[in-house]
Amino acid sequence: MDYDPMAMDDAESLGPVVKISQADNTRVKFELSNTELNFANSLRRVMLAEIPTIAIDLVEIEANSSVLADEFIAHRLGLIPLNAEGIEQLLYSRDCDCDEYCEHCSVTLQLHAKCTGDDIMQVCARDLVPVGDRVNQVLGSPVINDPDGHGPLILKLRHGQEIKLSCIAKKGIAKEHSKWAPSAAIGFEYDPHNKLHHLDLWYEQDPKKEWPPSEYADWEEPPQEGEPFDYDAVPNRFYFNVETAGPIPPDAIVTEGIKVIQQKLAGLIHELTESDGGDGGYNGPRSPGYNEGGDNWNDQGSFTPYGNGGNQSSWGGQGGATPYGTTPYGGGGGSWS
Amino acid sequence: MGKVTKFGDDGEEVTMKETPTSHQPEAHDDVSMADAGEEGEEGEEEFEEETSKVRLLPGSTPTAASFEFLEENHTLGNALRYVIMKNPDVEFCAYAIPHPSEAKMNVRIQTYEGTTAVEALRKGLRDIQDLCDVVSEKFLEARQEFTEKKAAASA
Repeated sequence: MDYDPMAMDDAESLGPVVKISQADNTRVKFELSNTELNFANSLRRVMLAEIPTIAIDLVEIEANSSVLADEFIAHRLGLIPLNAEGIEQLLYSRDCDCDEYCEHCSVTLQLHAKCTGDDIMQVCARDLVPVGDRVNQVLGSPVINDPDGHGPLILKLRHGQEIKLSCIAKKGIAKEHSKWAPSAAIGFEYDPHNKLHHLDLWYEQDPKKEWPPSEYADWEEPPQEGEPFDYDAVPNRFYFNVETAGPIPPDAIVTEGIKVIQQKLAGLIHELTESDGGDGGYNGPRSPGYNEGGDNWNDQGSFTPYGNGGNQSSWGGQGGATPYGTTPYGGGGGSWS
Repeated sequence: MGKVTKFGDDGEEVTMKETPTSHQPEAHDDVSMADAGEEGEEGEEEFEEETSKVRLLPGSTPTAASFEFLEENHTLGNALRYVIMKNPDVEFCAYAIPHPSEAKMNVRIQTYEGTTAVEALRKGLRDIQDLCDVVSEKFLEARQEFTEKKAAASA
């Protein structure tokens, strides 16, 4: 069945395909095709909420005679994007051996400003000074992208007012607090002509006139006049628009996102393989006591945490040698290949 | 568990045992390794955390099992469900998040004879891993191509 003639033109129409349409320092726009909605959505969700970055988490205020309350300033500080390059070398504070925080699991930034002139003073992110040892020279530094090099405004001081504080920035993910989000926004779109009827467009007279066409509308065939509804069709081409908030470059958000999924899966497989025997499971009559974790783990054979998904894989170790759409699972791909 | 005492409003000593049963944590009787570990060793917190991410729910047979994943959500659930359903040896697979304020995700797998639910789950996880590898590779390729094209255009 020819669901999507455009996709069939691709020489590689059998495996997932990525096409980048725009990329710069702040965003990457790409099309992911020949995957399922489920996977594309997993990628989107993971990029939104589960990529580790660094953000100010604790604020110790020594002096604050500004007009803003301590907790108000602390909240503002938390939202300042910090450079997350090399974040993988930083530990989560909860996994660290130290009591509260140390240089292995945090970056300390200090802020001290006093307005001595008559003009109102602006205290910006560039005034946050990283102190002490760091994993590398950029991790935890405020991200400054404006032409003046000030960074986000934190607060303003009048003559005689002073602010003195130190901030502890920690590693975290946006699922816990959105200040750790690497992306400002992730555009996610499929089926621009709404052929699948996943959307029910509100309208007054005519939805075609009232709804502007998507920027991707030209990329796909518009529906033919009087074309019957294809109830077997599934979404196949997904348009991502990943915009960074500053901590990591946009393309790194995508690769890191995939890495996070990989780690999640690797952890689960590892655990499943381990607990299997311990639960008195289904892989033969082994007693729980007999099973040391290591032994059992090896018994399962050829498990690698990253990639090359083991000898049972239908994909081949090199990845992409056997395209996803033609796994021995068969059936499922039928509607579009 | 040690005997915990607290003082009532009138200063009278009340033992925890006398509080209504609904306030006392119920003992779990399922056969979970994680639970057994939790009660046994208090010291090895990290170890416990790692081993209790997924467990088999009670009432499972080799070919029909329910799994409980902790700290997982639709991100993994939907993709996993789909990829497991694609396995021809699997009769049924579904996932649910029983309550939105509990970070738990349940997956039900029923397979035909010849394989086990645990095996199907493992295969599902590996298949997503492989898919990730390919997409990652394709993305890096596309990025390379894009930067080259851009460099060529500006030169």
